[in-house]
Amino acid sequence: MKRLGVLALAVLSVAGAAGGASAQAPIESELALITPVSKFIHDAALKAFADYAKERWGVAVKVSAIPAGTPVAYGRVVEWKGRPEVDIFWGGESALFEKLAEQRLLAKLELAAELWDSIPASLGKPRPIPLKDKDGFWVGTALEPYGLVYHPKKLQRLGVPELREWDDLLHPKLRGEVAQCAPTRSSSSNATYEVILSMLGEEKGWDWLKKLAQNTGHFTARSRDVPTVVAKGEYAAGFAVPSYMAFEEKLAGFDLKFVAPRNAFVTPEPMAILAGARNPRAARAFIEFLLTERGQKVFMERGLFPITPKYKVQGAPGSTAEMAVEFTGGVRSYFAGDVSNVYDEAAAQKRSDGLKTKFRSEIEAVWKKP
Amino acid sequence: MTDTGAVRRPARARRRSLPPVLGVAAIWLFLLLFLVYPLLRIFYDAFSDEAGRLTLANFVEFARDPFYVRSLVNSLVLGLGTVAATSIVGFAVAFLLVRCDFIGRNLFSYLTLIPIISPPLVGVLGFTFIMGRAGTVNVLLDDWFGLAKPINFVYGIHGVLLVETLHLFPMITLNVVDALAKIDPALEEAAESVGARGLTKWRTITLPLTTPGYVAGALLVFIWTFSDFATPLVLGVHDLLAAQAYLNIVQFVDRRIFRMGIVISALMVALAIVFLVAARRYVAIKDYSSLSYGRLARVRLSPLRQSAAVAFLTLVMLLSFIPYLGVVLASVGKGWSLTPVPVRYTLQYFERVIVETPKYIVNSLLYAGLAVVLCIVVGVPIAWILARTRLAGRDALDGLNTLTLAVPGTAIGIAYVRAFHFDLPWLQYGLTSFWVVLPLVLAIRRLPYTVRGSYASLLLVHRSMEDAAASVGATGGRAFRDITLPLIWRGVLVGSLFSFMTSLQEASAVLFLSLGGWETITVGIFSFYIAGSANEAAALGVILIVVATLSLVLINRIAGARMGGMFG
Repeated sequence: MKRLGVLALAVLSVAGAAGGASAQAPIESELALITPVSKFIHDAALKAFADYAKERWGVAVKVSAIPAGTPVAYGRVVEWKGRPEVDIFWGGESALFEKLAEQRLLAKLELAAELWDSIPASLGKPRPIPLKDKDGFWVGTALEPYGLVYHPKKLQRLGVPELREWDDLLHPKLRGEVAQCAPTRSSSSNATYEVILSMLGEEKGWDWLKKLAQNTGHFTARSRDVPTVVAKGEYAAGFAVPSYMAFEEKLAGFDLKFVAPRNAFVTPEPMAILAGARNPRAARAFIEFLLTERGQKVFMERGLFPITPKYKVQGAPGSTAEMAVEFTGGVRSYFAGDVSNVYDEAAAQKRSDGLKTKFRSEIEAVWKKP
Repeated sequence: MTDTGAVRRPARARRRSLPPVLGVAAIWLFLLLFLVYPLLRIFYDAFSDEAGRLTLANFVEFARDPFYVRSLVNSLVLGLGTVAATSIVGFAVAFLLVRCDFIGRNLFSYLTLIPIISPPLVGVLGFTFIMGRAGTVNVLLDDWFGLAKPINFVYGIHGVLLVETLHLFPMITLNVVDALAKIDPALEEAAESVGARGLTKWRTITLPLTTPGYVAGALLVFIWTFSDFATPLVLGVHDLLAAQAYLNIVQFVDRRIFRMGIVISALMVALAIVFLVAARRYVAIKDYSSLSYGRLARVRLSPLRQSAAVAFLTLVMLLSFIPYLGVVLASVGKGWSLTPVPVRYTLQYFERVIVETPKYIVNSLLYAGLAVVLCIVVGVPIAWILARTRLAGRDALDGLNTLTLAVPGTAIGIAYVRAFHFDLPWLQYGLTSFWVVLPLVLAIRRLPYTVRGSYASLLLVHRSMEDAAASVGATGGRAFRDITLPLIWRGVLVGSLFSFMTSLQEASAVLFLSLGGWETITVGIFSFYIAGSANEAAALGVILIVVATLSLVLINRIAGARMGGMFG
């Protein structure tokens, strides 16, 4: 017993010491992040950065990520109370980042001016979507619409035309064929519920959402499960799916399609450095890297769109970039045309609790599998 | 009956020196710190508000919320339903294996063990790949009979019942096999000699003697089903307690819902304790059984009955192998959708989880290995205290050990997060910031297996042997080394291997505690699944199945029929 205790202490102290080494290198040799952005994207981004750091500074950065849904990620950052286990928080709604900044849990980014200035302050009408924080605590990294996915072969079997607009989900033949995640558990679902309510108004909006629930055959436990069950063909259509999650299934060899209907929510996938981060220089270098052309390419080849008008999704014929363009309906950049947006951050925050309570009592509690 | 012939030696009990006292104290400290304290912590959380004031409001809120009440009722119904279903299947299989002789009996007794190692999450995923709306069966029905509307085999509470039954019936089988095998044939012969045959014999001898083993198995089935959140969530069933606890806790933003998750976890622990206490009233009568495994006379079945037995067992095995088939196909199939089997095959998923990121496998083996070391260091002495001493607090020790079996993994994971997230003295971080917390929680979870295995072996070593050694002057440590150890190592090893295998399988407790870089195979399965890569999750699942199967084969080699005792 005693020997074991000594051993445990030794292990603990070794683990503790490993954290605080190497003070003089240009960047620290570790970088950790917490993110709802899926492995498909964050793994690629971290790996690209590790390669870049090796070339640029000769530093082998040990990168790691804690994958967590937006609410969990946010919750853990708050629980860490300024002594975080990771350096970076990435993804989710920008309002959460502002809440964190208010609690003094974020560090100022202080990025190179040329990169910071290459990102427009906002996007969309009538409600502008902020793409970076005016106080400099967070910055957008890539643009990502939350739309619909569908299984073309399955729709064909059901005799339902391909989906284009929100209302197409209410087709009577899609009864029991729609998958969605509860807005109480998924921020992409929550944001899309909010879009519907802003678009149709409170009363008509809830009627619409209840009709959608009648067509829903499966409330998944996580938003990421929605494109999975549609790709497999378990369900014909999915609601409120981020474009890259659908594209990941496409790349995995599944036959499915994505469409972003009018007013679909677009997120800039904000990124911030946590106050008290153990590797602040590596964190800053990572963000700056993601905003360069090389960094943006990581996103553009995976079903996301550039955060700056400087770049467009483009590649050789047959490349994954071109495949992504085709998959998302020909869009190459969100800065090329007008973007329609009705989602209002302040209104959404105000409605957030009420929306969840109402969903629990009026949809989840009464929903029966069709 | 176990104590017949044992000469009580009060002198031995009195001869206590300092080291044993310290050892006992250390064991108690370990259990208090890593089991009792975390559990008390979630009860405190459940009975207090955000400001830390004691209150019953959380439970009032639970009782007033029709959705939670429905979840509670559903969980109880599902648990009891699964116990009923596994009992029917498990008892039938056990009876055939122990009491009858037919072609392939040995093979079937091996195969019966396999369903139990179905890895968390991917087992049910595998099931949906075959039985889902777009699974192999429905696709074939559509292709052959034009059945456009798929049959819903799995999505819903009936699906959970089906998956849990096929997964857990071996727990009943193993316990009943163990109990049936322990019945001294002399007892049954005695019964027959006084005219008790057939049903009467069954009712008066066989059933009472198998009840303790059966109850122990039934309790484990109940608790397992009751606390499993992965299966229902994959099948779209959210109105169950475990699912609500998980979902409420993994969202941190709404503190009220978060607290309700803790309240539900506490409620689950409380209910588990109630069922445990109820079950122990039966398990207490365990000592009717003789300690030797009697040689059994098996009934040779007639050809017709033989084929019926083989057909029944084959059907059960085929059904319980569905998840494995699904997992294996998904681990090598690419873009598998709406075809009976995948059209394109690849090894890229295995490459990704073995070559590119071997950490899952390395971490799993490391943590499970360390957990087993802890289990032995703490568990063997506990078993010795239980079997050989009359120390005060023995019953409490036994109770705590059994309690561990009943505490839902989700609850203990959450309890650790709540209990150990404060800064340790001299260190800037809490225990939850160090990976040792994972082997620790695994050790606590699996301690009962080591204790049971060692305890059972210690009971088999007759006290008179140690006394004989003592009479020729080999006292204390010498007698333990020369007599006891050679006789019990097998039991310790079996218990430890079982602890190891089940530690590898553990998901619910480690899921809440794992940080970046610490991922085990099961955490990897979850994070790949959550990230939408069911194929990589399946590949990890296959690896887990292989490792667990190897452990099982090893256990079976060493332990033979004694397997079942592990679960009781």
